[in-house]
Amino acid sequence: MDGVLLSKLKNLIKKTVESSSTADHGASGEECKTMLDALNKVTACYRHLVIALGSTSDSQNLREELKKTRKKAQELAVANRNKLTELLKDKTTSKDDRAEYERLWVLFTSSMELLEVDMKRSLEIGQEFPLKVPTRHLIQTGMTGSTTTVAARAMSVQNMKYDADSNIDTADLKELQTEITQVGQMMEEMEMKVQVAPWAVEAKQEAGAELKSTLSVGNSSVGVISICEEDARSCPGDENCCVCIPNGTDSPYSPLL
Amino acid sequence: QGCNTMTSRTSSPLYHPTMTDPDMGVKMRNQRLLITVIPHAMTGNDVIEWLIQKYNITEEEARHLGGLLVQYGYIYPLRDPRSLLLRSDDSPYRFQTPYFWTSSRWPASELDYAIYLAKKNIRKQGELVDYEKENYSILHKRINHTWDFVVMQAREQLRASKQRRKADRIVLECQEQAYWLINKPCVNMPLYYHYTTTILLRYYYYTTIIHRRALGRNRVKSSICLESFMKYSEQYLHHDPIMSGCLPSNPWISDDTSHWTINTDMVGTPTRLRVERWSFSFMELLNDSMGRREFMIYLEKEFSAENLCFWVACEDLRHGESSKIILKVEEVYKNFLAPGAARWVNIDSKTMERTLEGIKRPHRFIMDDAQMHIYFLMKKDSYPRYLKSELYKNMLAKAIVPQETKKSVFPFMRRQRHSSPSPAMVTQATEDDGKAKGAGPTGTSSTTNSQI
Repeated sequence: MDGVLLSKLKNLIKKTVESSSTADHGASGEECKTMLDALNKVTACYRHLVIALGSTSDSQNLREELKKTRKKAQELAVANRNKLTELLKDKTTSKDDRAEYERLWVLFTSSMELLEVDMKRSLEIGQEFPLKVPTRHLIQTGMTGSTTTVAARAMSVQNMKYDADSNIDTADLKELQTEITQVGQMMEEMEMKVQVAPWAVEAKQEAGAELKSTLSVGNSSVGVISICEEDARSCPGDENCCVCIPNGTDSPYSPLL
Repeated sequence: QGCNTMTSRTSSPLYHPTMTDPDMGVKMRNQRLLITVIPHAMTGNDVIEWLIQKYNITEEEARHLGGLLVQYGYIYPLRDPRSLLLRSDDSPYRFQTPYFWTSSRWPASELDYAIYLAKKNIRKQGELVDYEKENYSILHKRINHTWDFVVMQAREQLRASKQRRKADRIVLECQEQAYWLINKPCVNMPLYYHYTTTILLRYYYYTTIIHRRALGRNRVKSSICLESFMKYSEQYLHHDPIMSGCLPSNPWISDDTSHWTINTDMVGTPTRLRVERWSFSFMELLNDSMGRREFMIYLEKEFSAENLCFWVACEDLRHGESSKIILKVEEVYKNFLAPGAARWVNIDSKTMERTLEGIKRPHRFIMDDAQMHIYFLMKKDSYPRYLKSELYKNMLAKAIVPQETKKSVFPFMRRQRHSSPSPAMVTQATEDDGKAKGAGPTGTSSTTNSQI
């Protein structure tokens, strides 16, 4: 092949490689966001479950839900970390892409922060409130329903299946301890390997952005708010009656039975 | 006494199981909200009654204790959530879930608070209370880098709660609100704590400076550090008496002190190892008094001896007596820095300016900049030339390599150890001038011992 043709061929190959790598980055970015959304969802569900620990909503099932959700969270965490580290280590990314990946990185580390704390708390509370004892001493918090739908949401399944042993409340704790250490180590490693300055990241959402979403908070909660608003008209000075308890329309507080 | 046992437990008073026990605990009632019934509510009265009975205390004590439980968030009021008092009437209260118990191990974080405010913002369609609005905007600035996460997590947490049945959802909201009423981080500084504010500001100011300085420090990768450490070890291997032995023999073992005598400061002919070390680094040369002397001779030949003299004078200033500092600074100025000085040193104008300014208020380290300048001048210029010079090469050739003393024929034979005369004895002997020599108490036998 003569020289001119050869160099033209080389240029063509180079351009194809470049464009495909930027295309790759586009797809990778989207992939990353999806994975982060999943991690975010599981983190929120996990926190919800930990809040129920030690209360009258606590049960063998809850402990199993916690375990499964936790493991799912860790899977997602590792997947996210690998993907993001790969993206951030690539020197050929454009400045804009890099800024975006750093933003995603901050989202990831924030999620991991919450997850780590919640794991530690679930260990502590789980130890304080064992289930397999002659008399359980769970705090009567008013919450009595099951958390199975929350866990199902975390696991992205229709229905949760329960197959754990009856001693899960104590057996799982040892595993949990190991996992907590692992998460801690992973986070340390992450900080070493990837040099992202979190304070340099700018959020995309402005203040009050959450109000603009089309998220409907749910029928019953809207019902709660509307009741409160009615009350606000009847007792305008007292903001307290609308705070959380949807009160009856006439009395400022509901009588206890 | 009952109060003490209750509040002295490390984790929480409710760890004592019976308070929330269905049979033996506080009387539970149902709370009806329209069509929703939520169990596990108790009146303030019931709480106080239970405490009185359980701990056999007075009503006053029980009220106080119960009040603490509310203040620290173990029990929260259902009516009037902002009023953290335990009323001894039929006001409703509920136990808080363990996750939301106040604990110093798990301090409330700004991130969590921001998420809570965002959730409330969504639920209330923007109708936050004044101080909440303020805190919201402060947090939005302060943790702006993670604000996207705040919004994402707020939405997801609400979606998770949606999965619960209505009664539980209401309880959850009340629990959260109760927690944050007590534990919200102090986002804003109250105005009347002006004094504390200034102290805090000063603290932040200095901490920022310290951390900026730390960020700016040169850091060396451990891989590079270790490499240079390896090089150093290799270079000095043959010079290390423990690793490579010393010639002619180790005085501590052989009792032969020639190793020390041939290495004294001003010996006639230095050892080869010593002269070799002068080529390792400039500091090695300068730290050896013989090396320094040789270097001085060389510089005199080059007509740049004033540099070394200046350096020596600066060292003397730095390490010398405090009382002589002013005098020494004057001398240095007169001899080396003043225009037309006998041994004027060539320093760049900026450093000269700074030094002359500093001389007006002399102290031990005033010459540091100038000294460093001259040091680097010599190191880069004269020192490499010295190492290539005839003077140095001759020194190296002349240097002796002592013979290793032959080991004794019977290597496993132990030499009899004998102590050298005690210094105390030596002084006594000189004191007892004229008296019989060697008349000391114990050590005299050493001189009569023969070596085996």
